[in-house]
Amino acid sequence: MPADSSAPDPSLIRALEGILGARGVVSSPEGRLTYECDMHTFYKGAPDVVVLPQSTEQVAAVVRLCRERGLPIVPRGSGTGLIGGAMAPRGGVMVSMTRMNRILEVDLPNRCATVEPGLINLWLSNATRPSGWFFAPDPSSQMVSSIGGNASTNAGGPHCLKYGITVNHILGLQVVTGTGDIVWLGGKVPERPGYDLTGVVVGAEGTLGLITAVVVRLTHVPEAVRTLLASFASIEDASEAVSAIVAAGIIPAALEMIDEVMVRAIEEGVGAGYPKGAGAVLLIELDGPRAEIEAQSARVEALCWDHAALEVRVAGDEAERALLWKGRKEAAGAVGRLTANWLLQDAVVPRSRLPQIMREMREIQERHGLVLANVFHAGDGNLHPIICYDENVPGELERAKQVNEELLRACLALGGTVTGEHGVGLDKAKNLPHQFAAADLNFMARLRRVFDPHGIMNPDKLLPSHPACGEGFRPARPELPRGAWV
Amino acid sequence: MAASPSAAITRALEAIAGPGRVCAEASALAGAAVDGVIPRWIVRAAAVEQVARVLALASSESLAVAPRGAGSSLGLGAPPRRLDLVLDLSRLDAVLDYVPEDMVASVQAGISLDALAGRLGQYGQRLPLDPAPGGMRSVGGVLATAASGPLRVRYGTGRDLLLGVRFVQADGVITWGGARVVKSVTGYDVPKLLVGSLGTLGVIVEATLRLHPITSAWGAWLWRFDAVPSAAAFIAAVVDSAIQPERVVLLDGAAAAVAAGEEARAEAAVAVSVASTAEAVAAQREALGALATRHDGRASEIGAGAWARLSEALTGPVVLRLAGEPARLGPWMVSLAHVARDGGVDLLSIGEAGGGVIRAALRTRAGAGVPAPSWLAGAVASLRASLEPEGGSLVVERAPRAVKDALDVWGPVAPEALALMRRLKSEFDPAGILNPGRFVGGL
Repeated sequence: MPADSSAPDPSLIRALEGILGARGVVSSPEGRLTYECDMHTFYKGAPDVVVLPQSTEQVAAVVRLCRERGLPIVPRGSGTGLIGGAMAPRGGVMVSMTRMNRILEVDLPNRCATVEPGLINLWLSNATRPSGWFFAPDPSSQMVSSIGGNASTNAGGPHCLKYGITVNHILGLQVVTGTGDIVWLGGKVPERPGYDLTGVVVGAEGTLGLITAVVVRLTHVPEAVRTLLASFASIEDASEAVSAIVAAGIIPAALEMIDEVMVRAIEEGVGAGYPKGAGAVLLIELDGPRAEIEAQSARVEALCWDHAALEVRVAGDEAERALLWKGRKEAAGAVGRLTANWLLQDAVVPRSRLPQIMREMREIQERHGLVLANVFHAGDGNLHPIICYDENVPGELERAKQVNEELLRACLALGGTVTGEHGVGLDKAKNLPHQFAAADLNFMARLRRVFDPHGIMNPDKLLPSHPACGEGFRPARPELPRGAWV
Repeated sequence: MAASPSAAITRALEAIAGPGRVCAEASALAGAAVDGVIPRWIVRAAAVEQVARVLALASSESLAVAPRGAGSSLGLGAPPRRLDLVLDLSRLDAVLDYVPEDMVASVQAGISLDALAGRLGQYGQRLPLDPAPGGMRSVGGVLATAASGPLRVRYGTGRDLLLGVRFVQADGVITWGGARVVKSVTGYDVPKLLVGSLGTLGVIVEATLRLHPITSAWGAWLWRFDAVPSAAAFIAAVVDSAIQPERVVLLDGAAAAVAAGEEARAEAAVAVSVASTAEAVAAQREALGALATRHDGRASEIGAGAWARLSEALTGPVVLRLAGEPARLGPWMVSLAHVARDGGVDLLSIGEAGGGVIRAALRTRAGAGVPAPSWLAGAVASLRASLEPEGGSLVVERAPRAVKDALDVWGPVAPEALALMRRLKSEFDPAGILNPGRFVGGL
């Protein structure tokens, strides 16, 4: 029975109101419906009740209550995830972190800050940038997504080519585990004896515990930033330019590729002034010490010309830089002009396999008669194919799903991964058995049970329902020499 | 199951690894002792499947196993509760897959940092990990011990560089975690769990690593200061600037002499290296010089050899690893100096900016150089008490058995976190055959 059709148990509501006060509990049908999905609207499931805690103690009390009653718990930040993560397929209690959004401390001498999980990513950098520091992870959603959500999904972003993904910037976490215990993992001191549990809880999508505070590393604002935009006749030329830049020992802060379909869509919409005949556009951003950036940007420009660039533009100041980024940032809006409906994908191949995956993607779309557009992080091989379809045309949605699966299989066949930065959620749990063997899945399932022995933390997410994830399953052990010693 | 006789187990191990690969000879076994505990066998595995079968046998016979790479850091950890089998991985030394364009390499765990560097250097790339005592260390050992060096301020540690890992669980099941590409969030980040786990959850047999380019230009300098606080103030100024150093270390007088390759003539020094383009190395040298002058630092050039000498200087009988708030690097180095002075012990200490880690070699002038265990236990306890409020720690990385018997080499771990670690250990190594007793909390 769908969760949103049944009224929540009144005794549960009373107990939660006792913990959080009446204003901290949302139980009306219309209130709960606003929490039924994240940005991946395929997956819908409203919780029985939503709580809005203001302290770690409240979160712990909620988890203990859910443990007693055997209710699933789903954490939610800003709800901007793309994986069917912050939704409640089994109903239960959703813990929304939006009221835990304070910066608890900025400690510049120790290059770190302690924040509550609901804090919006960009707000932290806005607070610290005047002092010369910023929080490096920059998912495209950073204006609205929360740091707790970024940590839970181990979010990436255009600049993680140079700066690394979220986990590289998390020093410590306060976590409420599935047993309701409050645990501090890590902290301001960058290392401590014992297992790196911080590193495991980051990216666990709330399945190992609810993050209630985050100690993040801050990064010094670079002395100089230089942005280049290079247009090419074909994606092959652009891919070769990417290879040449990397081969020259240059790691740009960002290296973004826009393919022909997207270039056309952007030009037909806002218009970014790309040259006629451009089949691919590379957006290259370098940052660091000024002298380094000047030498490298001259080199990058030369390499682009060497690889048949049609045009290379260089931004000298912030206004010009914003202009070059404009097309890239408009991409999401431009998709609406391309298609009625679309599926945004997130997968990774080794950088050297980009030309091959581009060819395979063309074959896949031709086979199914659907259009694929692509705006992606070329520097780390992180693809974001946009599968265009029209739900009003019979069969197109099914074909889009087929394209989706074939794309993921193609990436795996080239040594890649089914998600580079969005996460697994409900959406990709079924794909894990294609990437991991039974023994690998079993290890992860047992790891999960250590933190969540009652199976209440964001169930159905991150791991598939697969025999290897079952409680009694043990992978086959290697054979011992027979009769040699017993 | 009743324990099988030794000779039968020897035959079984030989059936797995080959006759020449199992050693049960007394003098060799004595040489493989860990903290004085002598194993009954040394097995040199030449394939992942052999590691798997040896562990399956060990778990069925309840044999305690200590994995070993280059063997340079077996001193890390508490004395083993028991030890039957040293599992040597140094023959697992292949580069399995290396596509320079991807800047990713998959290697077997036994390969040395030096051998890997030789291979990567041909393509202008490197794995930027520089743990003490040097490049003879194995990749697997470096990861299992979470070893790092001054390069961490720029490139992070094994935690940041390990993308994927193949390991063998205690029961012999070969397991993979992570990915072979630079970016993946598919499933749990299992590699993080293995880094620094000292082989207590599984034996690392393969690693997929993120690489970095070797820059076209490089420079290294030393600034001498009259006291640690002014040197530390210089470091704080560097950290709070747009300079992107590759290494920044705070050196006490003894370490300064090692870095400069001459007698100490300074109370403290800061050594910095910068890797970039030629223009940027020159520009950053100038910016560093200006900051140093403001803090009364006196400059000299140091060669590339200085870093290796510093690494090797940390190989005394007793080595401590103190981790505190990065901003308190200077005060902690001063505290260490006071403790050593009060105990009449010679000290050489090196602090890593950014990481907040100070590594210190302690040595007495008389005898074998080993400080009295009771004195050291007291000194460690008092430093830990002062570190506790900021969440710092002090690990005795190397010490003779007599010292280890007098203290806990790891120090305390917060009880809530330790409870989770215990549950992990009992889930993945229920019989306690992987390095029993050597890790935190007696795990």
